[in-house]
Amino acid sequence: MTEIDWVDVIAVDEVPEDDVVCVSAGGREIALYQVEGQVFATSNLFTHGTARLCDGFLDGHAIECPLHQGRFDIRTGQALAEPAVDPLPTFATKVDAGRVLVKLG
Amino acid sequence: MNTTIDGIDPPLTWEGQGSERIPFGVYTREDVYQRELERFFYKGHWCYVGLEVEIPNAGDFKRTVVGERSVIMVRDASGEIHVVENVCAHRGMRFCRERHGNRREFVCPYHQWSYQLSGKLQGVPLRRGVKQAGKVQGGMPADFDPAEHGLTRLKVARRGGVVFASFDANVESFEDYVGPTILEYFDRLFNGRKLKILGYNRQRIPGNWKLMQENIKDPYHAGLLHTWFVTFGLWRADNKSKLRMDDHRRHAAMISTRGDGGKSVQVTDVSSFKESMKLQDARILDIAQEPWWGEPTVVMTTLFPSVVLQQQVNSVSTRHIQPNGHGSFDFVWTHFAFEDDTPEMLERRLRQANLFGPAGFVSADDGEVIEFSQQGFESKPFHRAVAELGGRDTEDTDHMVTESLIRGMYSYWRKVMET
Repeated sequence: MTEIDWVDVIAVDEVPEDDVVCVSAGGREIALYQVEGQVFATSNLFTHGTARLCDGFLDGHAIECPLHQGRFDIRTGQALAEPAVDPLPTFATKVDAGRVLVKLG
Repeated sequence: MNTTIDGIDPPLTWEGQGSERIPFGVYTREDVYQRELERFFYKGHWCYVGLEVEIPNAGDFKRTVVGERSVIMVRDASGEIHVVENVCAHRGMRFCRERHGNRREFVCPYHQWSYQLSGKLQGVPLRRGVKQAGKVQGGMPADFDPAEHGLTRLKVARRGGVVFASFDANVESFEDYVGPTILEYFDRLFNGRKLKILGYNRQRIPGNWKLMQENIKDPYHAGLLHTWFVTFGLWRADNKSKLRMDDHRRHAAMISTRGDGGKSVQVTDVSSFKESMKLQDARILDIAQEPWWGEPTVVMTTLFPSVVLQQQVNSVSTRHIQPNGHGSFDFVWTHFAFEDDTPEMLERRLRQANLFGPAGFVSADDGEVIEFSQQGFESKPFHRAVAELGGRDTEDTDHMVTESLIRGMYSYWRKVMET
């Protein structure tokens, strides 16, 4: 891993607590969440359909698709409720000097 | 005898003792037909939906009907078979258009409500509304409970690889419904061997649906109408045969053993016997006795109201009656074989299937006489048919020169329709 993998995407203040926001980075849409002061990043596109998770609803560490109520754990990407079956890609995050950095593999 | 039925006005007039004079009104009246759908297809009865082998894998489905209602037979990931109604719980759309397919879930295209294969509501788009300018707008009421908005699930019965369904949660068991006498013939055909689908025939017959039940409950016509049967010796009025019914007289089995094919006078005198007719390819008459038959060479079973089970020598099929109005039904034939058949037996079953279906050497005749019967009924709906061959009773017989099974069916029909 080189430092170049870490991409500065947003100020940590702009990631809402217990909610979700979407950014573009490296040509892909990333959903960012903040729960208990910790920032998580997943792909913004629901694996099942064409819905965007930033339109969805965060419940604890579970993001629910706004269209089909499929659910994923934002920490692991694991599908929690049908129709979500395939895991959601997740990305490592770190906060440095008030900025959120996401590692795009 | 006039019997008043609530909402059936004017009442149908049944001449005679019971069911030997059938008023044309049972075939021509829309109010009668609507009551039949309610009382036979949607309540108290099991209807045929298909064969398990049609949906071998998880997610496989087949769209079919119970009465006029569209339903989907589907196998879930655990192997269980569900039958759900093809009507979205949201706005009532008939969402599934394909006849067969494979799905992980069902999604109505209109508003993308999605359902598990068991019919359970899984997802409602924008159920929690839309986030706009930091506010959540719209969405379903907080007390909206998905558990109350699944697809209608039918009760399912499986026996010998055949699947039946009922909208009636209180329907008796399939075995009680069929009764021990007819169940014996059901199990003779579906004795646990794995089936193999050979193909389908579909036809729309412009006649009342009951005429197809009557056609198979009437062995009298087969040796007269069907030139092919008579000429080539597959069915004759002097075949050794018996007719059996369940206790309600709604189901029946027509059991027959092919004779030696001699040209007895009663048979060769009928005008449908064409001595000069020869087959270009006689392999269709290459009949091989199968051990599971026992003595009979032909058993035709009618399960009321929806299906005919056919074993005509080596040709085996189900024939599904799908009514669509008082004067029309779709007739869907599923020709099958057994997985352990030799290639020769498979070929034989395929060749003999040419006797059946809309253009079958034999069955083409039935589609036509049903159409022309309906024409007769519609032109004078106040009249009645006569079904007095073999007497006026509704008993089992050890011959086939009788219309007893038709009378039996109408004695049951009257019991259910007139309460």
